[in-house]
Order: sequence, then C-alpha cells, then structure tokens
Amino acid sequence: MSELSITELSNDLRNAIAKLETTGNLDEVGVVLRVGDGVAWVRGLRNAGYNEVLQIETEEGIVEAFALNLMEDEIGAVLLGEDSKVKAGQTVHLKGSVLSVPIGPELLGRVVDPLGRAIDGGPAIKTKQQGLVEREAIGVMGRKSVHEPLMTGISAIDVMFPIGRGQRELIIGDRQTGKTALAIDTMINQGKQNTGVVNVYVAIGQKRSKIARLVERLKQEGVMDQTIIVATSPADPASLLYLAPYAATAMGEYFRDNSQHALMIYDDLTKHAVAYRQMSLLLRRPPGREAYPGDVFYLHSRLLERSAKLSDDLGAGSLTALPIIETQAGDISAYIPTNVISITDGQIFLETDLFYQGIRPAISAGLSVSRVGGAAQSGAIKSVSGGLKLGLSQFRELASFAQFGSDLDEATKSQIERGQRLTELLKQHQYNPMSVWQQVASILSVTKGYFDHVPAVKIKAAQASMLTRLWADHKKDMTELDKGGKPTEEILKSIEVTAISTAKGFEG
Amino acid sequence: MAKLSRRAIATYVAEQLTGQNDGKSDSKKVILQLAAYLVDTRRTKELSLIVRDIQFYLSEAGSVSGVITTATTLTAETKKAIEKYIKEQTGAKTVALDSLIDPSVIGGVKVSIPGRELDATVSRSLTVLKTRFKKA
Repeated sequence: MSELSITELSNDLRNAIAKLETTGNLDEVGVVLRVGDGVAWVRGLRNAGYNEVLQIETEEGIVEAFALNLMEDEIGAVLLGEDSKVKAGQTVHLKGSVLSVPIGPELLGRVVDPLGRAIDGGPAIKTKQQGLVEREAIGVMGRKSVHEPLMTGISAIDVMFPIGRGQRELIIGDRQTGKTALAIDTMINQGKQNTGVVNVYVAIGQKRSKIARLVERLKQEGVMDQTIIVATSPADPASLLYLAPYAATAMGEYFRDNSQHALMIYDDLTKHAVAYRQMSLLLRRPPGREAYPGDVFYLHSRLLERSAKLSDDLGAGSLTALPIIETQAGDISAYIPTNVISITDGQIFLETDLFYQGIRPAISAGLSVSRVGGAAQSGAIKSVSGGLKLGLSQFRELASFAQFGSDLDEATKSQIERGQRLTELLKQHQYNPMSVWQQVASILSVTKGYFDHVPAVKIKAAQASMLTRLWADHKKDMTELDKGGKPTEEILKSIEVTAISTAKGFEG
Repeated sequence: MAKLSRRAIATYVAEQLTGQNDGKSDSKKVILQLAAYLVDTRRTKELSLIVRDIQFYLSEAGSVSGVITTATTLTAETKKAIEKYIKEQTGAKTVALDSLIDPSVIGGVKVSIPGRELDATVSRSLTVLKTRFKKA
C-alpha cells in the first residue's frame, strides 16, 4: 500500500469517475405494454426495485408511477397521474429512487397532496429535506413506554380513555356519529392549550368542500399554523389515496425525530383499504375475504407501527395516531375494523343510538378502551377518574334494565340519578375543548355529590356557572391545577365551596 | 403444459442462436421451431415482444443491435464513433446500428439498444423542461 503514490491513486480515481459518469447516460429503459384503470404494465426494466419510481415519457410531459408487481416478464406499475396521457409503446425510465415527499416545518399551515404539492393556492412547497414515504418503524430499543398525556379536551376521553403521546387510539363508529368531530376537537385543543403538538390531518378520499370547511375552521380557531393537511379527494386516482397516510406519516415523523410531538389523524382507513383493494384487484392479485388482498393487515400495521414514543437517546419525541374507521350498522367484527382494533392500543367506539339520544360525543363506555390507561394521565385527571368508566357502564346497563319497572330500591335509584347527571356533564359541544382544570372541577362536582340536588337538565348550566365563578374567584388555583399536578387540599376545598354554592341556584 | 414465459422462450432461442448449448448454431431451424411453437400455443401476438427479448439476450451474449434516431442524416464518422461508444459501454463483440431519420426529435441523437437507451435529443430535453415547469 505504501508503494502506491498519491498521484497514481488520484489518477485512477479520476479515470474511474470519468467512466462512471459516461455509463450514466446509457439508461435502462422499458416500454409500456398496456395501460388502463390507473395501472400500466411495463416490459423491460429488469433492475426495477419494489416501490421504485418509474418515469413514463408522454406527449405532455413525464408521468410518474411506482412499481408494485415485479413479475418475470413485466412490471405492474400504479400511475401517480392521469392514465389518459399514458399510451402503449411509450418509453419508461427508472428514476433511481423510491417515493419521497418534502418534509419539514415549511409544511406547517399548508394543504398538500400526497406527493407534497401545494393544493391550497399558496406558493410551491420548498423544503430542505425529503422523507421516504415507506419507512421502517423504529425498533424496540429506540422506544420508550407511553407516559405523557395527549389531551383531547374532550372530558369523556381524557377522563375515561386517556390517550398518551405515542399511542395509537382508534376512533370507530358508523357514519355521522361524530368521528371526525372528535379528531378536529383534539387538533383544536392542541392550539388552545398550547401543547406544542403538531397536527397532521390526512383526508383520504374526502370531499374538497369538507376539507375547505375544515381549513377555515382551523384558521378561525388559530390552529392552522401548527397543522399540516394532506388531502385527497374521491376524484384522485386510487394510488394517491393509498399513498396519503404514508406520505403524511413521513411528514409527521420529521417532528417526532426532532424531539417534537406530532398527532396524526387518518380520516379514514376504511377508504384507504378500499383504495388498496381497488389497486390490488387491478394488479390481478388474488382477492381474499371481502375481496381485500392478503396483505391488507400489513397495509395498516406497518403504517401504525410508525407511531411511537422515542427513547431519550433519540430525543424523546413522539408520534401519536388517531386512525378513524367507519363501520356499517355498528358491526365492529367486520374485516377491516377487527384488523385495526387489533393493531391499535385501544378504541373509542361511537354509537348511533347515543348520538340520536343527544349524548354527544356519543362514546360507548362499555366498548371503548385505552390500553395505555392511567400511565398517560396527568395527576390532576387521575385523581378524579377512578371508577368513572365502570360507574358509567353500570349506569347505562341499569338504566336500560330500569325501563321495565319503576319499583327500584334507593341505592339503584341514586346510582341511576348520578349516572344521568354524569352523562349530562360529559356532553360537550363541538369546537369546545376543555382544559384540565375545567375537566377536574366538573367531574368532582358530580362524583363528590356536590350537584346531587341539581336536576339532570340543569347540569350543563350549573357546570358553566361554576366554572365561571371558579375562574373569577380562584384563578391562581385553577392555573396551578391546569399544570396537571395532583390537586392540593386547598384547591379541592375551593372547588367544593364553589360547587355547593353554585348548586343552590339550580336546585329543584 | 404450463405456459412458458417470454423470458424462458427468449433465453432458449438466444442460446440456440449463439450456439451456447452445443457449440453449433442453426438459425433457420431455431426460427422454424419458434414459429411452430408460437402458432401451436396461439401466441403469435407476442411475437414482437419475444423478438425484443431475444435481442436483449443476444446483446447480453455480446451481439448488440439497435437504432440511432436523429433529425438529420449522420455522417459515417459520427455513426462509427457512436458504435465505438456503444461497444465500450456494453462490452459487446459486435454492434450493428440502423439509422432512422425522425424530424420530431428536433436535434441531438437517440441510441436505442435492447433494454437501454441514450437519449440526448432536444425533444427529450423539452419534455423534461415541460414536466418541471408543470410541477412548479
């Protein structure tokens, strides 16, 4: 080695580089054999990799596609643009990379498509970094157990089914039961409580009018600045609907990997599975149950596994996921719902019956669960949440049983009455997330019996009045309570006094 | 009998043509065999694809055939230089390039050999520019 001179080495290197540069011009090419329904079949390109981007030269420019079926004689590629431009016989080049999207803080406040192109009429997105759309999830050693709360601002959730940063909590229910509303309230709460959590909302096949309304609302609430919306409409090709959650996760992962916290909302994964089914059937993959392909479980598991709470060594950032699934007639045992239920760390089940009874959010206390539990609850909330879920489920069972007769013993009657008050208390208007102190004071007023003489119909009014008085008279205590620590005796006393005196005005 | 893939047919024919199997090559016999097989299995529609695949395997075996597309006629010297370049790049023993005049390429040169392409035409640059402009 020592005999080799630096000049020689440098010359050899220069020659090698020169050779490499020239070979780069002789590209590997393929030919489009046939095209239709958003899928192009390509001959040639024997070195194409799975998920690699192909560039098809059309008369109106280059249309990109990605290779999903690598077969002996041909490649099945899903087009990322319109198939009407692509014709048989056109030349196909390898781009030499797998799909990636722009990532970074530049995306905050923007509405983009799954390829990172602006669709909000604003300037083109220019970021310093690109992130891989398909990326392997963090390993075991890079993770930490979920322990910080992600406040949704919806007391029924924060108290009974706490969500932690890095958790995956499914929102499931029939159409028109308030699934998206829960997700939007959670996003708004991140802005109102200044949690610093970045929201990434993924609209999969949602009407553009709905997305426009959402953007307006988020702007009104002042949350758009910490939100990224990745939108696809029903008019987009299935490939874009399929890519949307993966691309959005890549955008969310940027914040997770930079010691920040991000919240992903996948609205909804049922449509995502349907788009993937369409693609798979067109690619002639064998259909399985409900005509979904065999890897539909992997489709969602590899996506949701990317949500994580990172270890301190990796910066302790987190990516929380709230996937949404739409059920048909409350059937949670269908194929896609059971898959996603088994992947996630719990679910919030919304019931149509409750919704039409006026109980909104229509959360079913019996069927909902959060498998992370108290570990992700702040001391303040934990101090009031004990036994609440069980009590509420027992009440709903008792209430349905009590419909058959009026002769009830005193204990049952009081349990039903308290349950009714609690149900009233947990009702919450949309776009009205509650802070920690508001939730703690409200729950205490019912569970401790301060509102026992207030009829159920007046509970909401009593609650509003009590909260106003508490903020006016004990602002300092409430600010302290809002920090999440366990309430002191002094704070508890001030809540008790205010609640009892407020209740007097609403009795009878 | 399972349907033979195009790749398997093309590999067989290429091997026969280059005499890799037994050192002898009888191109007429092989072509007749292939024609009979395609007629028998009703796959004559795939003929052009199979021919392209055979070309690909022949080029891998050192015998490259392709097309040079230009807007104007090439001089013999330029054609020779291109053939030399392709020989260097592919390591082929023989290179046979046909010339094609196509005014739609506007300018520059496009060399297509089985499975690979060198596209230095003005029309290609314009397509790339058009796509970039659309994206922005």
